Amino acid sequence: MSRLEVFYLPLLFLTVALLGGVRVADRLMLLPPPLFTLVLAFVLVGVLVRSGALAPERLMSPARRPLANMSGLVVVLTAFAAATQAFNVAIPESGLPRLLFSVFLLVLLLNTLAASPDRVRVLRSLVVIFGSAFTLKYIVLAALSDPVGGRLKRILLILLEGVTLGTLSQQVYRPVTGYLAFLTLMLFVSGLALLPSHERRETTAARLEPAPGDA
Amino acid sequence: MRDSIARVFGLVLAFAYAAAIVWLYSSQPQTVAEVSGALSASLGAYRADDVAFADGLRFFRRDQFAAARLAFERADPAHRDPRTQFYIAYADYREGWGRVYHDDVRFAHGLAAVERAIAVAPQGRVVVDDPDLQLHSADELKAELEAGLRYDASDLNPFTLFRPRK
Repeated sequence: MSRLEVFYLPLLFLTVALLGGVRVADRLMLLPPPLFTLVLAFVLVGVLVRSGALAPERLMSPARRPLANMSGLVVVLTAFAAATQAFNVAIPESGLPRLLFSVFLLVLLLNTLAASPDRVRVLRSLVVIFGSAFTLKYIVLAALSDPVGGRLKRILLILLEGVTLGTLSQQVYRPVTGYLAFLTLMLFVSGLALLPSHERRETTAARLEPAPGDA
Repeated sequence: MRDSIARVFGLVLAFAYAAAIVWLYSSQPQTVAEVSGALSASLGAYRADDVAFADGLRFFRRDQFAAARLAFERADPAHRDPRTQFYIAYADYREGWGRVYHDDVRFAHGLAAVERAIAVAPQGRVVVDDPDLQLHSADELKAELEAGLRYDASDLNPFTLFRPRK
């Protein structure tokens, strides 16, 4: 029995699912994931399986006992729930940024799926995707939406709001929300790295690499 | 055998954690008191603090509405007692009521409290038999608060200046 499969991974992914919707403003809010994040999570699970970062046959197979298969199913379901909430963390809550982030994330994931990279590259790619989304949402957009600031900042904000028809600024949260979001995304990516994977998967790049002596 | 026990334990733990998360997201508690209050209410063990409630009622009857609200909040920190929430809403109504115009902030606060009272009451029915009040049910109070928050042509009627506070 793997402790990772039975205890650590489900609890880690459920913690991501819990923290993913936490927003702290003047009160504590628990935002449920938008429907679109289900689509993104579904594609992400597809990417993980395709790349070998998640090997479903190591979690569920006819060779395993029913209880072991049940544990494996829990890992897959909690990973899906965590992915949904990770996207909930990464995507802005309203306006034009929400639309743009959603479309970009979908295109990036579909592109990754089409490229069929190996496990390590997928994990690196996800770190970049979630890291960029975090930076844009919790640092850039939060700074733009913050009503406190100098005259120049307010003028720039008014101009940007004019260009984007008032759909740019977001609800301002307390700084603890950003720290929690960072922790959530770190836990999520760590969980993905710990998933049962294929030991080694040949990539297209590796197949095209010339054998020694070919040249 | 040990493997099966560990797997069953892991499954129970995961299901319990998942159920707690779903419950938290559906009940949206704001404070730790609300979390513990909702948990004890789900077991039928939640009760408002009678002493703090009596303090609140005394302040309420003396028209000391801010003090009354504080005492009522102390009596029902989890916002699970319909009667206390009703009185909080009534305190907001009476404080926010004005002959010429109402205090929208107080009325909105009161509306939120009366909605909480309706939400936690069995079948959503809250009736308070208090001779000091003119509105005895949460439905009447909610309608009064909503009417106060609404802007329409009737606001220009000069006879509204003679309407009484309930």
